Amino acid sequence: MNIEYLVIVIVIMSLATFATRLPPFVLFSGREKHPLLQFVAKYTPPMVMTILVIYMLKGVDFLAMEGLYAFAALAITIAFHLWKRNALLSICVGTSFYMMAVQW
Amino acid sequence: MIRTVLKITLPICFGYLPLGVAFGMLFQELGYPWYFATLMGVFIYAGAAQFMAIGLLTASAGFVEIAIATFFLNSRHLFYGLALLNSFGNWGFRKLYLIFGLTDEVYALMSTIEVPEGYDKSKFYFLMTLFSQSYWVLGCTIGAWTATQLTFNTQGMEFAATALFTVLLIEQWIKVRKPLPFVIALIASAIALLLFAQHMLLFAISLSLIMMMVLRSTNQKVRDEY
Repeated sequence: MNIEYLVIVIVIMSLATFATRLPPFVLFSGREKHPLLQFVAKYTPPMVMTILVIYMLKGVDFLAMEGLYAFAALAITIAFHLWKRNALLSICVGTSFYMMAVQW
Repeated sequence: MIRTVLKITLPICFGYLPLGVAFGMLFQELGYPWYFATLMGVFIYAGAAQFMAIGLLTASAGFVEIAIATFFLNSRHLFYGLALLNSFGNWGFRKLYLIFGLTDEVYALMSTIEVPEGYDKSKFYFLMTLFSQSYWVLGCTIGAWTATQLTFNTQGMEFAATALFTVLLIEQWIKVRKPLPFVIALIASAIALLLFAQHMLLFAISLSLIMMMVLRSTNQKVRDEY
């Protein structure tokens, strides 16, 4: 346990993390209206969202019970969202179901 | 406004609280005072990187190695600002804080929802970021503080993040209504999982962006429709 070392690590990690979030705003400031940037701005979110969902599910073993629960919880979340279109409700119902299933 | 933002960010709370608690619990095993878990949540504010930090601290890793590892682990964030260039105005320090707090979940929410009519955009985004970070900091603190006495079973609560991204994916579909970006992301993810499972996020996001831009510059139909 070395406090000084820990403090430096925290400073370094804070700067390194910020350095990954800042560049687009510095590099492209004032060029927001460029057609290519508009195109990228419009289509990164749907692509990133697709990738994030796959990323979250990649660790799930779909041949085990856990996979069945995750699949069912996902189906419930989607069904509720298509039905009510209330994000909070869909997430709560899906997550509660998953928690009950894995803790049973 | 506070109530609306609370409601919108509540799904992030369900994801961040248990994850933060898990981090805090692991962190306190290193033997440092509990409030350093709080400080890490305040200053670093990156889930995966903080979990990685536990391993690096245990191994007494060198500073250069830590800087490089953190940068690459979070490098997918390089692309997140692209979608928000237009959304953020010149809001001075408030804008700097928004950029600092641009995590996966906050980005997902900000790039999908519209700020409700009648609210000041900069304040709304600021509160969204502030609340989200507060959930994370609270989680880290509780975990490090009460590690041994926690009675509430949070097992499975991490599904909230998956559910949040799924709901936002549906919202993106309703907004975009064109299959190409989703199909490209699927293909890029499959390739990334096969080749670079370790860095799947970064690789899949870069690859899908490249594919999308190449299609736009080579295919007239894509250029007209997208």
